[in-house]
Amino acid sequence: MSRIYAEIPQPEEVSTREREDAMGAYLMMFGALAAGLPLPIINLIAAVVYYYVNRNKGRFVKFHTLQSLYSQFPTTILNAGLIFWTIRILTLTGNPETWESDNPFAENSLFWGYLCVVITANLLYFIFSIVGAVRARKGRMYYFLFFGKLAYHRAFSGPDSAATGHVNAPPK
Amino acid sequence: MRLSIKHQESYSRSELLLRAFFGLFYIFIPHLFLLLFCAIWGSILRFIAWWVILFTGRHPESFFEYQVNLLRWNLRLQARILNLSDGYPAFGLSGTDDNTTLEVPYPEKLSRGTHLLKTLFGAIYVILPHVFVLYFRAIWGMILNFLSFWSVLFTGSYPKSWHEFQVGTIRWSTRVNLYMGYMSDEYPPFSSKPDVEDEKIESASTE
Repeated sequence: MSRIYAEIPQPEEVSTREREDAMGAYLMMFGALAAGLPLPIINLIAAVVYYYVNRNKGRFVKFHTLQSLYSQFPTTILNAGLIFWTIRILTLTGNPETWESDNPFAENSLFWGYLCVVITANLLYFIFSIVGAVRARKGRMYYFLFFGKLAYHRAFSGPDSAATGHVNAPPK
Repeated sequence: MRLSIKHQESYSRSELLLRAFFGLFYIFIPHLFLLLFCAIWGSILRFIAWWVILFTGRHPESFFEYQVNLLRWNLRLQARILNLSDGYPAFGLSGTDDNTTLEVPYPEKLSRGTHLLKTLFGAIYVILPHVFVLYFRAIWGMILNFLSFWSVLFTGSYPKSWHEFQVGTIRWSTRVNLYMGYMSDEYPPFSSKPDVEDEKIESASTE
């Protein structure tokens, strides 16, 4: 049985309030900055809270908040890994000459490679999120790679109960 | 902006004593605990709103409503802390209260120039002069708060002029908060009086 999807709203059908709420989802990446704590988990918590506060404000808002939330996961994990690794390096004790062989989390070329990956991932995340925020404010859909599809399935699957006229619906 | 706390004809002495002795446990701690989390979320939204205003000239409406609701909750609590109102303050951002009113008109557009000005120099031309005056008002307010406690205890009434003074201080600081919180472009007046139009509404409602 094929899945039924609700219609995607067109820009003229999306109210200013919905646009702003959708845009706000992408700006949750600044959550840690706002809280004054350089912990990547703060951004994720902010995105989760924002999703739960706004998920009932229409499918358009739900889609953007979900996409923002999903895209937070890999960045948060990568950033948390970097913080963990950096702390391990800073707190290493023992003979500096045998650090690399004794400890897999010593400052080695793998660490610098990982650092480059994290910086690139954050830059990409930042750019895509800003584009997403601008598009959302214009009442447009914008699909991130992989996460966009996932968020679309979650936000738009199932017909609108108002459109079908049915009050009772099967479990999701 | 319209802020008012209803002056009651008579105040409950038992509630006054209950608040004085146990208010810390049954009003302040539970409210402040929850308000802390809401305030953290509020500061995140405010930070994001700063950027949104800078680029679009608009404060996102739902962010604005959140901040107003947060201020309302604070006002409900403040009214009880200062014994300006009886009753238990409602929990939550959507809580209602018959004794306190806070209405803040939503600004459709905010000036980006003013926005930057208050961010860069707000501490000098807003915070410094207003806090200087509010500091002395707060000291006098504390004295009046102490005196009003005895007044309510022995007579059951809160002197109206004292009540107005306390509400005026809250109104003044709220106006400063609104301006510095990017919720209004109107420079806060050095006055505790309600806006002329709001005064008319208030007097009409009490008649």
